[in-house]
Amino acid sequence: MSEKGEVDLTGAKQNTGVWLVKVPKYLSQQWAKASGRGEVGKLRIGKNQGKAEVEFTLNEDLTMIDGLGDKPSGVQAPRDHPFTMQTVGGQTLAVFTETQSESSKDRISLEGLVVQRAECRPAASENYMKLKRLQIEELSKPVRLSQQLEKAVTTNYKPVANHSYNLEYDRKKKDEGKRARADKQQVLDMLFSAFEKHQYYNIKDLVDVTKQPVSYLKEILRDIGIYNVKGTHKNTWELKPEYRHYQGGEEEKETDD
Amino acid sequence: MASLGGSSSSSTEYIVRVPKNTSKKYSIMAFNSGDKVNCSSWTQARMERDMSNRRMYGVEETEEGAAGSEFGKKQREEARRKKFGIVTREFKVEDQPWILKVNGKAGKRFKGTKKGGVTENASYYIFTQCPDGAFEAFPVNGWYNFVPQAKHRTLTAEEAEEEWGRRNKVVNHFSIMLQRRLREQERGPDDDDEEGEKGGKKKKKKGGRGGDLRIHDLEDDLELSSDESDSSGGEDGDSKPKKKEGDVKGKGKKKKKKRGSDSEANEDSDDGDFEGLEVDYMSDESSSEEEAGEEKAKSNKEAVPKGIDEASESEEESEEEKQNEEEGKEEEEEEEGKKTPVQTKKKRDSSGESDTSEDSDIDGEAASALFMKKRTPPKRGGGRGSGGSSRTGSRPGTPSIDSASTSNTLRAAASKLEQGKRHVVGGSSESPAAKRLKMESSSTAVTTQSPAPSGKSTPQPPSGKSTPQPPSGKSTPSSSDVQLTEEAVRRYLIRKPMTTKDLLKKFQTKRTGLSSEQTVNVLAQILKRLNPERKNVNDKMHFYLTE
Repeated sequence: MSEKGEVDLTGAKQNTGVWLVKVPKYLSQQWAKASGRGEVGKLRIGKNQGKAEVEFTLNEDLTMIDGLGDKPSGVQAPRDHPFTMQTVGGQTLAVFTETQSESSKDRISLEGLVVQRAECRPAASENYMKLKRLQIEELSKPVRLSQQLEKAVTTNYKPVANHSYNLEYDRKKKDEGKRARADKQQVLDMLFSAFEKHQYYNIKDLVDVTKQPVSYLKEILRDIGIYNVKGTHKNTWELKPEYRHYQGGEEEKETDD
Repeated sequence: MASLGGSSSSSTEYIVRVPKNTSKKYSIMAFNSGDKVNCSSWTQARMERDMSNRRMYGVEETEEGAAGSEFGKKQREEARRKKFGIVTREFKVEDQPWILKVNGKAGKRFKGTKKGGVTENASYYIFTQCPDGAFEAFPVNGWYNFVPQAKHRTLTAEEAEEEWGRRNKVVNHFSIMLQRRLREQERGPDDDDEEGEKGGKKKKKKGGRGGDLRIHDLEDDLELSSDESDSSGGEDGDSKPKKKEGDVKGKGKKKKKKRGSDSEANEDSDDGDFEGLEVDYMSDESSSEEEAGEEKAKSNKEAVPKGIDEASESEEESEEEKQNEEEGKEEEEEEEGKKTPVQTKKKRDSSGESDTSEDSDIDGEAASALFMKKRTPPKRGGGRGSGGSSRTGSRPGTPSIDSASTSNTLRAAASKLEQGKRHVVGGSSESPAAKRLKMESSSTAVTTQSPAPSGKSTPQPPSGKSTPQPPSGKSTPSSSDVQLTEEAVRRYLIRKPMTTKDLLKKFQTKRTGLSSEQTVNVLAQILKRLNPERKNVNDKMHFYLTE
């Protein structure tokens, strides 16, 4: 698509300014729980004696913190979060978005430039301390756990007369029976078509393909092919040069017996 | 929005919303302040993922089906990898870097690599103010650091290290990139043969030299070929390296070649090496130049009729050829103000024989280098003089500035010989490169000689092969500059007594293409056949021959 990759530069042209705010993890989790239009709180920007003060207040209904397994813990998220403002110096930060709609039209557009960086900090409060304590407890639990069992485990590795897998295999072998020698011409056809696909074959693979007994197959192969210890550890069969024709269309040379 | 009025503080409240169901994914594009990126100045931009890291697993391996493949190879390879625990990382498209092209093809290019660890412990949100005054916060999905991509050519790490080692010797740093480009062209697709002038022009960044002498004139080539054969015996490798040195001025390709040969050959010819050099003032010498030219031509232009020897040589000497080309170019430049492609060609043609061509090439190059610098020598008989001087300059082994004045003179002489042989028409512009003062001095020495050797019919490109090659010398060394032949050894031993070590040094494995063991064996055989006389000098056994 010629469109793909084309960046929509309206944001950059308008010099839209945005803020980049670093938000603690628990707060973003609470925000994810927001309902409706997505209101999460209020931002208050004030000018106090020339200095800008920014503070974010979390909505009341979002302060319930879920503990492990989504059940409410007794901890409440703190509500007041002052923002620490920082400058963007040293870097030019632009914001771009990727839109992926169902029509699979990926559009990339530049939304704007970052004019202000901020960090959202929770105001130090009793709630916050409790929240932190809860987090630390969760993290400090070891991933692995040793547990003592009361009874010995006896549900595995019982001795069996013959494994079911083995039985199946034997049955399969019996059904297949010994491989019968097919007509030589047929076998040759099969071989040539096989060698059309690949140049080198292992004898086992050829037996698989042709379903012929090994000795019979080997005799036929000795006629039309060569056995090479190719240097790679497998010993493989390949067609004799006069039978090969590996360029584009393959030709087969058949011997008429 | 509720506005609270306060006495000393005034604050406004805004509602913050986190929209839930946007299909937009926000990411940060970070530029370094040093790059001075101004997004508003972009007229258009294109950005897409850089998929170059995607390996088609299984398809990586070459053949698929038919010839060369084995039955079940893929499965076996996979099983083998699993057995050894090789885990190949999955290719995730979202983690791939971005390629951003600003302002079309001629604009800037940036590569944006994803920064890891951004969303691990804290989340970033983008706060935008909506028209209704509320803030909307969008979570940031990824952070990409964008760095500008260099459009100019850069050296690879190995090359950079090499150049670093030579930084004290190199005067003209501009030639480094030029040579590299030349080298690439040499090795590049052969259909680039229009190297003719265009190539030269493009390649030559410095000095805007036009016309790289690649144009190849069939007639000239044919003419030249007749001459060459002789000689080049020349000073074998010695002269060549010297010539390389001469190529400092970065005179377009010629220079590059010389430099290239310099780096390629890496023959550090110590000063003492050239002391016993005898210069053959034979008219045939032009052939060596021609050969050099031919060599160059060989490598450069397919159109040029190549002798069998040339053809066989081409592989080995790509460097030499480059040198030749450069030489040729230089010569041309000298003579025609950089618009003479012919010379290079001619040189190539003439050097039907490969062996000496190398030598001559180098000489020629050196010559050109010299000439470049001076530009003074008018096209006299193919600028022999310049050739000489440039030759001196271009000696590969010697650092461009270091060449001893004595060597210079000698080399100059040698190059003159070469020039004599060279068929290059076009004359004098040969040694563009010679920027050294030394060259100039040597050129004076050479000048005297230039008129002299004019053996060849066509005017030799001055820079051509500067290496003076003994006219009778090796006519057909198949490859490499120095052929380990009995003739070569004889020549050395006649000139001055040498130890086995010295001899080995002459036939460096790089040049002859033989392994060190082979060289030793062949050399031993040759010595047995020659049965030179021995004498002890400084407690060392020297061989020498008297004829």
